Order: sequence, then structure tokens, then C-alpha cells
Amino acid sequence: MHPIPDFLAGQTRRAFLGKSALGLGTAALSTLLPARAAGAIPGLPHFAPKAKRAIFLHMNGGPSQIDLFDYKPKLEDLFDKDLPESVRNGQRLTTMTSGQKRFPLAPSKFKFERRGKSGMWMSELLPWTAKMADELTVVRTVNSEAINHDPAVTYLCTGNQIPGKPSLGSWLSYGLGTMNKNLPDFVVMTPSWSSKTDAQAIYNRLWSSGFLPGKHQGVALRSQGDPVLFLSNPDGVEPATRRKMLDSLGKLNQQHFDEIADLETQTRITQYEMAFRMQTSVPELMDLSKEDKRTLAMYGPEATKPGTFAASCLLARRLIERDVRFVQLFHRGWDQHGNIAVDLPAQCRDVDQAGYALVTDLKQRGLLKDTLVVWTGEFGRTVYCQGGLTKANYGRDHHPRCWTMWMAGAGLKPGFVYGETDDFSYNITRDPVHLHELNATVLHSLGIDNNRFTATAQGLDQRLTGVEEHHPVKALFA
Amino acid sequence: MTLLMIHRLPLFALLMGLSTTAISAAEPGGAKVVDFNREVQPILAEHCYACHGPDEKSRKADLRLDTKDGLATVVTAGKPPESELIERVAGHDPDTVMPPKKFNKPLKPEQVAKLTQWVEQGAKWNEHWAFVAPKKTAVPTVQGATGAIDRFLLARLEREGLKANPEAPKATWLRRVTFDLTGLPPTPAEIDAYLKDTGVNAAEKVVDRLLASPRYGEHMARYWLDNARYGDTHGLHLDNFREMWTYREWIIGSFNRNQPFNRFLVEQVAGDLLPNPTVEQLVATGFLRCGITTSEGGSIEEECYVRNVVDIVDTFGSVMLGLTAGCARCHDHKYDPISQKDYYSLFAYFNSIEGSALDGNAARHAPIVSVPTAGQSQKLKELQAKFAGLNKRIAEAVAKASYTEDASAAEAVNPKLREVVWIDDALPPKSQFAAEGGTNVAWEFVEKSVREPASGTKSVKLTATGLRQVVVSEVSPGLRVGEGDKLFASVWIDPKNPPKEIMLQWHTTGWLHRAFWGENRIDWGMDRTTERRQQGQLPEGGKWVRLEVPAARVGIKPGTVITGLAFTQFDGTAFWDKAGLLTSTPQGDRHFDSLNEWAAVSVADTAVPKAIRDLLKFDAAKRTAAQSKELRDYFIEYGYTKTRETLDPLHKERAELTVQLTKAQGEIPVSYVFKERPTPRPAFLLKRGEYDQRGDQVGRATPKALPAVPKGTLVNRLGLANWLVDAKHPLTARVAVNRFWQQLFGTGLVKTADDFGTQGELPSHPELLDWLAVDFVESGWDVKKFMKSLVLSAAYRQSAKVTADKLAKDPQNRLLARGPRYRLDAEMIRDQALFVSGLLVEKVGGPSVKPPQPAGLWEAVGYTGSNTARFTPDKDAEKTHRRSLYTFWKRTAPPPQMTALDAPSREACTVRRERTNTPLQALLLMNETQFVEAARGAARRALQDGGDDPAGYLFKLIVCRPATDAERTLLKSAFEGFRADFTKDPSAAKKLAAEGKGDPVTLAAWTMVANTILNLDEVLTK
Repeated sequence: MHPIPDFLAGQTRRAFLGKSALGLGTAALSTLLPARAAGAIPGLPHFAPKAKRAIFLHMNGGPSQIDLFDYKPKLEDLFDKDLPESVRNGQRLTTMTSGQKRFPLAPSKFKFERRGKSGMWMSELLPWTAKMADELTVVRTVNSEAINHDPAVTYLCTGNQIPGKPSLGSWLSYGLGTMNKNLPDFVVMTPSWSSKTDAQAIYNRLWSSGFLPGKHQGVALRSQGDPVLFLSNPDGVEPATRRKMLDSLGKLNQQHFDEIADLETQTRITQYEMAFRMQTSVPELMDLSKEDKRTLAMYGPEATKPGTFAASCLLARRLIERDVRFVQLFHRGWDQHGNIAVDLPAQCRDVDQAGYALVTDLKQRGLLKDTLVVWTGEFGRTVYCQGGLTKANYGRDHHPRCWTMWMAGAGLKPGFVYGETDDFSYNITRDPVHLHELNATVLHSLGIDNNRFTATAQGLDQRLTGVEEHHPVKALFA
Repeated sequence: MTLLMIHRLPLFALLMGLSTTAISAAEPGGAKVVDFNREVQPILAEHCYACHGPDEKSRKADLRLDTKDGLATVVTAGKPPESELIERVAGHDPDTVMPPKKFNKPLKPEQVAKLTQWVEQGAKWNEHWAFVAPKKTAVPTVQGATGAIDRFLLARLEREGLKANPEAPKATWLRRVTFDLTGLPPTPAEIDAYLKDTGVNAAEKVVDRLLASPRYGEHMARYWLDNARYGDTHGLHLDNFREMWTYREWIIGSFNRNQPFNRFLVEQVAGDLLPNPTVEQLVATGFLRCGITTSEGGSIEEECYVRNVVDIVDTFGSVMLGLTAGCARCHDHKYDPISQKDYYSLFAYFNSIEGSALDGNAARHAPIVSVPTAGQSQKLKELQAKFAGLNKRIAEAVAKASYTEDASAAEAVNPKLREVVWIDDALPPKSQFAAEGGTNVAWEFVEKSVREPASGTKSVKLTATGLRQVVVSEVSPGLRVGEGDKLFASVWIDPKNPPKEIMLQWHTTGWLHRAFWGENRIDWGMDRTTERRQQGQLPEGGKWVRLEVPAARVGIKPGTVITGLAFTQFDGTAFWDKAGLLTSTPQGDRHFDSLNEWAAVSVADTAVPKAIRDLLKFDAAKRTAAQSKELRDYFIEYGYTKTRETLDPLHKERAELTVQLTKAQGEIPVSYVFKERPTPRPAFLLKRGEYDQRGDQVGRATPKALPAVPKGTLVNRLGLANWLVDAKHPLTARVAVNRFWQQLFGTGLVKTADDFGTQGELPSHPELLDWLAVDFVESGWDVKKFMKSLVLSAAYRQSAKVTADKLAKDPQNRLLARGPRYRLDAEMIRDQALFVSGLLVEKVGGPSVKPPQPAGLWEAVGYTGSNTARFTPDKDAEKTHRRSLYTFWKRTAPPPQMTALDAPSREACTVRRERTNTPLQALLLMNETQFVEAARGAARRALQDGGDDPAGYLFKLIVCRPATDAERTLLKSAFEGFRADFTKDPSAAKKLAAEGKGDPVTLAAWTMVANTILNLDEVLTK
């Protein structure tokens, strides 16, 4: 016999051993798994990571920082006054408001209060988030150059405004490998939303693997039909029948392998076995029946309603618990060009309690210390009003020059606010954090030096953070 | 110095110990003399060019290592110890070692050794191989090999101490070649015929048959669609439908008629600039228009325009030149000698496109061209002839009519001001009222007993919580507004429950005209414009108040027609009554006995063509005879009471014909084309690639590192295209043959098929690549001939069997000591399933189709207002069972059956697909509706035609070779196992067998057998 098939036969035996080990349950499994994740790039992580996993809560459309986090009391006296020309300073605007004759200032109609021991400001729209203020690291000075949704969100998720680059989660899957044998490394959810106006789109490219191999692309966990595409056997095919089919398939493939000896055949056999395991592990993941009542109550009444943000947050925790590397939620409907009075509170109600529950739940389970949670939009909103301005209602255009995000967990400084903006939340006055630096910070948290983390494509060493050098904001870490 | 020598010693030792075979697989070449292009330059490019390369701005120490002169300053030929290059890369002093530590790209010891060896051997320098025109070198003589391809390959294998595999079984080759030339497997009959044919030309006959099949063009086109980034939606933001499938059809046709590849390229780059271009040549330029576009609100036209052109330049670079020009958009290329100026000079060729950069979210984003079928052209011609005939009859009728102006009516009449009432006791008879829902509530007309009306017998009651309104629209006839007209309505405010705000809204081309009283609570329209005019405080409650608004105040200009009205409130209760227009403009009839009467009315009537109205404004006495006749004719045709009897029926006929014509024109497909502006748009170097950071203006020019455009060539895209396909161009033919090679062997001779620059991988067989490129050009760029030579080569025909030795020496099969074997592409896998099950509907061309996909995929991501936000599958098998290249490609949510198997999203050009092996693919192939349907179809065929050996029949049908005894036995026992399951659970059998005839248990069990076979590695693999 040839040495290679010999070697491979050995591999296969080990693969089968691995499979039976899974039957022992996750606890036993975790002790069997090697310390380093399977499939990681040599040399990664670059240094001891603070986070092993991450959850990215994306508020698609651009939440208004002025109405949520970035308190600007001086605006109250400036209602309907014009934005001083010196503030805007000729910077470009979207063509939705660049034709406006004036730029009347719109103070937030919502009440602000100091929250937590740190005394960070938050508006009345986020009562639950306020409760965990002391867990949060708030950055008020994230900024970007993109002024429209499609390029801005593509920029945030892939580091480039033009489609085609791998997304953050794909980079992580590619670089750090998998810690999990039964679920994908990168899971995406697209929960429902409550604002009434047309909601901005999202795009499969936001979780695509770009030029990286397709296996690193995000897998959408769906709330309708199969949670993972094509997971269920066809009508009439029971698991036992599928098992029989896979046994025959494995034998036939093995016979063919004995003949041709192509390694891919062995890989295919193992992938079909993993598919079979997913047919059990995914429904088990989705099954909330064993969640205790207190936990469910913490996430609120929508926790058991499939497809809501609350249900998605609960699933995110369950995924993280199972060592899925990266979970990303895209909550749409945050594009308040008008009717902030009605739509913004509705959006906040969707995410406020569930976000609080997620962080608290992770903490209670001891997962927060090595899990990074990120909450952000793709840009902020303007201090000046778009459309009709009254004290009771107004709208705001896109504002990439500054917006507010929060992070939690993974060795960050809790109860900490970073960065300052001017009296109009228009320009940054201290500690700007560019979107590339935000991504560098996320990578840093996971033990990756963004400047050294490259993949070759199109004749270039490509990076999530682009061609230029960027650095993580180390001041955010404890 | 001594210290340095000590440090170096181990390196030289290592160098001496290196065997050529140890690096042969990873580093083709292996000759003892170090080849600069293949062995030295890649090291320099990868590790040094970033700071010492073509990019002027990032160049350090004024040293460049990408030129002969630059290298000469740090290299002393034959003397490594005296060469600073060697000293620095080998040095262990962390302060001076190159590349610097923080650059994170240290050289490996064997790379240092290689550089040292090269200097020792005399430091010979060559141009980058791909920028020098290919030449045919002598074909090596190898025993047992005839064709040039095999002689080059075998000579190399001999050098590496490897032997090619024996020929694969005939059936294996037949399946391989049938897939590679048509994208589908052979039928059992084709297998039998070929196995029986023992003639010397048997294989060639098969190849000729396959090349003549229309499936060939479909299959070849499929690869090109990835290159061209073809999609059925715009790709950005709304991602609306885009109509350009005729471009796909053009590609299919071009391959099928074996259009010379140079023409194929020229027409796509500059078909519109050819003399008297045909519609097809215009359609070909769709290549330049396949890129993604947006119309997102707030987008800046110039920014999007630059992005669109950049996408064209990058695609042109990757597909045609095999160069990654994109990097030079922001800065000089760090590795390849393409400067930023080169980039924008290339940009200048493509930047003069007509039309808006924003796509308007329209399916037909100009410039476009109509692409009628013969039938459609014929139908259109007939309708146009009918139309012309009818116009002639009308003209004759007009000429025949007699009219003399009655002198008594010579004075124009000024009609009196009067109220035209729309709403009083009821809605206008011909109108639509908005359905309840959202802010809209039902109209409630209340009797006198509830409230004494302002007019008539009833009034409208409206009670609001927040924002509520009653709406009437599409009123016919509408209100025709004239100069100084006023809009009015009456309102009675409930003093006990007054609204915070009341509003009147009028509809013309949109709901753009609003007037309100009270607080500014209703956030509709731009405040303080005609979209939202404040008229004062809330009227006094407890009495009828007449509201009057000059039409001009809410932006309704004379000549406009109002077709809708809404009473709107924020909170409270109010009664509304008698609403309409105070006007002096005639409203209804437009027919008169006198031209002068008609003229007085028509001068402000927008329904009358502007040219006629202009004539009417003109003093009658000053009109020329021709003008007077024109007016008279128009009046007689449209305005004269006495000609109605003759002309109205003709007009009706013409209106019907117009509808038919519009419909026929709408049915004619269009394609996106490139159209040049009359005067070229200036192009600028854009600093950091930013659209608003213009540097110097640049003219059109090809990159300096490549051959110049011959003098006297047109300075436009046609000149560029001709330059591209010049026989001496170093890249075009190489890039093309390499991609075809990749298609058949899985990997190109240059693995980085989109990058022939210095960062790309070197060719595994440089002489073969050059020989093929030159031969391809000499053949007249004959693609079919080229494909034929490849599939008939021994390299292609050999068995794919892997041995330990071959795996160790050549893990990626770059040397081809074994036949190509890799997973089929997504489209081939799906098409195969439909084909073997007998479900495939074969029809070449046509619009894209929507086979079923799991619900909710588009909805999960789509902008709610997009016309591709909701997916509706096609129902008809004529559409759902077409080949996959016709599947509708929504770029922000592409078909999951395709993307799961590594098909690209088509948002950007893809020259080489990844091939992965994932559990999600397994789930798709086992469970997806159409794959299950295919298994059922195949099972049915086996039961019908498989005689007493359905297992053997199924196996041969799908695997395309006879089953071995072991395989047959295994399948039979699998069948028994499935049958046992389904016998126990007949309801499960019924579900799986679906509507199938006969015994559901048997059909279900064979369906599972077919499902097994369809998932075999051998079936998913070439």
C-alpha cells in the first residue's frame, strides 16, 4: 500500500474518533479540543487575545448620537437658529440637504441624564442601556468619510467603500480558525425592526468573504424556514434514512478514494458528516425550551418571538456559548431623515432591553470577560434639521464626521467615555477614532495586529484596515 | 568583517545543501542557473518593492530595486560579499537588516541564499517576463509525445523525475470533455457510441460534435460572465432590476459562431466606435456597462461617476491585461511599474461616457440600445405602417374640411370668474378615494341633523387622533387652473375638540401642494415652501369659515390640472364642506364653432402643444400663411365642433394604435451600451483616488511599461482596443490562453490569472505559455481550435489517479503528471442534476429566470422600496428548469444554490473562482428542492428504463460509467435499506415520492439511491 493513502486512512480514523467524542456533549468536548483553534493561520493570534469571540450589533441606517448619547445642552437655546458657517466649514453634505436654503439647529427633544457611577450621559430613550452604563465603554468620536448608506456600511463591515473585500467576520474566521466542530465560525442575523418609514437595505456582501475562500463567509441564521439554508431533510426523509444514505455515500466515496486517492474526497466525506451533525446542533441551538424563565424575562417579551432583535440577542448568547467566533446582527430602520419623534423611540425599544440583557447574560455566565460586544451604526446624524423643524419633531441627515458607539467586555475599561465633540456634535474636538481604528481595535481585542494581518489578492497584501497603517485605540482597554 | 563571515557561513552551507527537487513543486524552474525573472525578481517584489519599487512617494533612501540601474548601485556582479544588497539582507544587525523588522516580511534563509547565488553567477537582469512579447521557442523532443503541449509538459516532468499517468478510461475522458466543452455530462447513448467507436478519430469526432453544440457557447459564456461581472440588478443600494440580458446572449452567440477572440475583445471595448456598428457590436460594449451603479438619495454625481469609470478601468486591467491596475488609483503601484499617471491616462479612455452616473433605479439606464428579435422588428414595422396610414387619413380629413371664421366671433371671449365645485354632499363622480389604513380614514358625509352644512345637504366629518386625513384622487376631469385662480374649502372647527392643525393638500403630478392653519405639526413636505405653506392660525371654532388659497401660493401654476384633494387634521374634530376652484378658465369642453373662441381658451391650455400655444400668443395679423394654416389645421383636427364626427373615431383608432405601439416597443429588449460624448471629458490625476482631489489633467495613453500605441492610431477606445489585440502585445494573448487553460486544468499556467505583474505567480511552464499564446494569435485567435488542442492532449486525457510520489512532489498538480480533477462549478452541478433527471429545459438565450429559492432571502436585505425586495419564483418548468447561467442574479442577494458553491456575487470582476468544500454545500446538495426533484426524476427514469437493473442504470446515467460489481451491490443493499424504512413509514414515502405514479415506496427508495449518487464525490467532481 502507498504511504499517502495509509496516512489518510489514519486521518479518517481520527476523524471518526473525533465524531464519537462529540457525543459526549460540549463540556467534554471543550476539554478535548486543542488550545489553538483548528485552521488558524500560523502565527495567529499575534498576542494573547482579550476576547475569544465577538458580537457586533449593527444599527443600520445611522442612529442619532445627538438624541441618544452625545448630550449638547447648549443647543437648547439655539432652536431653529442657523448652524454657524464656521462649524460646517464648507464640508460636503449629501445632496438630500446640500440644496437646503438653511441649516436650522434641532436640539434633541429627549431628556438626558447622567447614568451609572461614571456619570455618562444618556437620553431617556435607552433606560435599559442606562442600567448597564458601568459596563460600557462609550466612544463618541467614531468617524468615517462615507456620506451615504451603501458605501458607509460596506466601509464599516469590509474596510472599503467599494464592494468586493472580505467582511470583518470572514477575516476572523480566516485568521483565527474555528473553535467549534458543529457550527459555522461566523453567524449573521437580520432581525425585524419597528420604524415605519422605508428601511435602508443591507447586502449579502456585508458578510461575504470577498477574495477569501467562500467557507469564511457569514452564515445567515434565519427566523423563517430552515434556520440554516437547506438544513432540513426533504419531506419524507427521516434522520435514520439520511444516516443510511450517508453511510452508503461514505462507502462509495471511500471506494473511489481507494482508486484515485484525491484528498478532496476525504474532505468531502468529513464535510458531509459535519452537515449531518449540524442537522442536530442547529435545531438544538434554536430550541429555547431549556432557557430558564428568568433569563427569558430579562430579554423581554419578544425573546421568544422568532426574528426579533431580542430573540436574535438570545441566540447570539447561545452561539457565543458554543464558541462561535463572530456573531453579527443587522438591525435596520435607523435612518431618521424625518419623524424622529416616532421612529427613533420605536427603534430604541427594539434594541434597548435586549442589548442590556445580552451583556448582562454574558456577564452572569462568565462569558463577558472574553467576549467583545460592539454596538454601532455606519454614521451619525446631523445637528441641523432636515425637512420641517418643530420642537416636537424633526429629521436629521447623515453625519459621518462623528458618531457614538459602545463596546463591552473583553478587557475594556468599563464605565468609560472616550472622545469629545464640539457643542454641535458636528466636529471632533478630542480623540477621534476613525472607522479603521475601530476595526483595528476589534482585531486587537481578538489578539490580532491589524497591520500584520494580510491576505494576498489582486497583487496586494490586503488588510481589513486598508493600505495605510492604522492603530487600535489602546486607551479603551483596562 | 570576520563576524559577518561567520554569520553568513550557515547560509552558504544551506545553499549548497539545497536539492533542486525539494523546491521544484513550489518553485517551478529548478535549473541550476538562477533565473532572474523566476527566482530573484519575485523575492525583490514581495519583500523590497514596497519601499524600493516604482512608487516614488514611498521610496526610501532614493533606492529602487525594480530597475537595472537601481540594482546596479547595490550589487557587484560575481561578488556577494561586496554587494550591499546581500550584506543587508543577510545581516544580523537588527538595526540595518533588510527588510526592516517592523516591515514584517523577513527573508527566509533560502531566499537570501538564492539572491546570493544570483549575484555570484553574475547578477543577470531581465525585464519582467510578462512585459516582453512572447516568442515561440523550439518545442522539446520527447519520446512518445507528439503535440507541442505534451512535449513541453513531458520534458518538464522528465526533468522533475515524474511520469505522466496512463490514459484514463474512455468513459472518464468522455465525461471530462463533455463537461468542459458544454457544461453538461454525456448521455448513456453518447457513452455507448463512444465506447463502441474504435476508430482513430473517435475522440476528435466527439470534440467536433461538442464544439458544434449550442451548449458550448452557453458554457463558455458562463465563465465570461464572471469576468464581465454580469448581473441582473444594479448592485448597489436599491439594487433594482437592470435589463441587459441581451449582452449575455451576445456572448453565447459569439462563442458559438467562434468569433475570433481578438474581435470578441475589440467589440467589447469599442464596438460603438467601429465604422457603422451593428446592433450586436453596440450590445458588445455592455462589457463596459456591467459594473455596479447606485442612485442612493444623497449621492454625489461626480463621486459615483468616478467610481463607475474606476470599475471599468479595473475590470479592463484584470480581464484583458491580467494586471491589477486598481492599486495605482490611489498611489503609484508599489510593485508593478504602473504609475498613478498611467492609471488615469487609461481612465481617460473610458471617462467620456454619455448619460448620468446615477442609474435612477431604472431598468433601462441610458445609454441603451433596442435589440429587437426579427419577429419584433416585423411587428413594429407593421404597426408603424398602420400608424402612418392612419395619420394620412387624418390629414386628408383635415384638408377636406371647410371652415370660415365667423366675423362676429372674431373678438376673443373672456369667460367669467366662477366656482367649480368638486366636493359638496358627495365625491366627484369619476374619482378614487384612498382606502383606510395608515393615516387615511374613510370619507364620512353627515346629514344636516348632525351639523348644518355650509352648502347643500351634507358635510364631511373628520375626527383625528394624531395625523388623519380623507383623500380623493384621480378625479376626472381635473381642475384646470388659470392665472389668478383660487382654491377654496369650508371648515367648521369643533370648539370642544379643536384640531391642533388643519391642512389642505392638492395633487398635480404629486402631492406637492399644501396649506395649513394652526400648529406646524404635520411633517410632510419641505417647510416654508409650496410644499408646506402656513396660512394662519386655526380658524375660529363653532362656525363655518371659508378657506381660500391662491393656487400660485402652493405652487400650482396656470395650465396645471389638479387631480386630487385631501382634508387633513392633526387631532380634534372638524367638518368640511364645499371645496373646489374659483376660476375663469374653461373647465370642460374644448370644442368650439369658432377658431377665435377656441384660441382664447387654448392659449393657456397645457393639453395643447407648446408650438401651437406659442403661435396663438402671436398677433394674428403677423402670422405667416404657413403659420395660419398650421393653426387652422390644428383647430380643425382637435378644436372644431363640426369635424368631431369624422375625426373623433380616427383619433380613437390612433389612441388604440399608440397603446399597441408603446407595448410593442416596451417588449423589445434593450441592452446597456457605451456611448461616447461628442467632446471628450477631461481626465485628471486624482490624489489618493478621491474624486474631489484633482491633480494635473492627463491625456489618453497606455501604461509606459507596455508597448506604446503606434503613431497615427486613433486616440480613443478603438485605438486602445486595436493596441490591445496587436499581435505583439505581450499580455493579451497570454492572459487569454491562460484563462482557457485554467478552465480545463483547474489552475492556469500562471496561477494568478488576474495578475501577470511582478506580484503575480510565475508561469509553471513559461515556454509552453508563450508557445500557446503565439500559436493562438497565429491561428487567428481561434478559440474552438485552441480548446480542441487542449482536450485532445495526452495531459488532459490521462488518468487523475494520485500516487504518494506525485502528491509529495507536486501536491497541486501544476506539472500535470496526472489528469485534472476538481469540483465542478455551481452551475455545472445544478445543470447536471437537471440534465440526468430529464428535467432540463434547453433553450438558448432569453431573459433571466427565477427558479425557486428559500423564502425571505431578498426580503431580509432589500430596501423596502426596491423592485427586487420580494422574490417571486417562476412557476413554469420552462423557466425553473433552465440552465443556471440564465438564473436571475440579484447582486446583493445572489442565488444561494450558486453562492454556496463559490459562485461570485458579480459585484466585481472575478477571473478565478475559489473552490471550497463545506458542510453547507452538502446540505444544499442533499436537501434543496430542485436537487431532490432531480433525484426523483432520475429514479423515475431508472424505474421506466432501467429494466432489471435500475441501480446500474442510475449509476451509469449519473456517473457516466458502468458501475463496478461492488458499487452495484452496495447500491442494491442501500435500496433495500431505504425500502425497509419507507415500508415501515408509507406516509413518508408518499411525501418524498410526491405526485409520482406507481408504488410510492419503491419510487421513494430509488429517489434516495439517486440522491446518494448525485452526492457522490465523483459526480460533483470533474
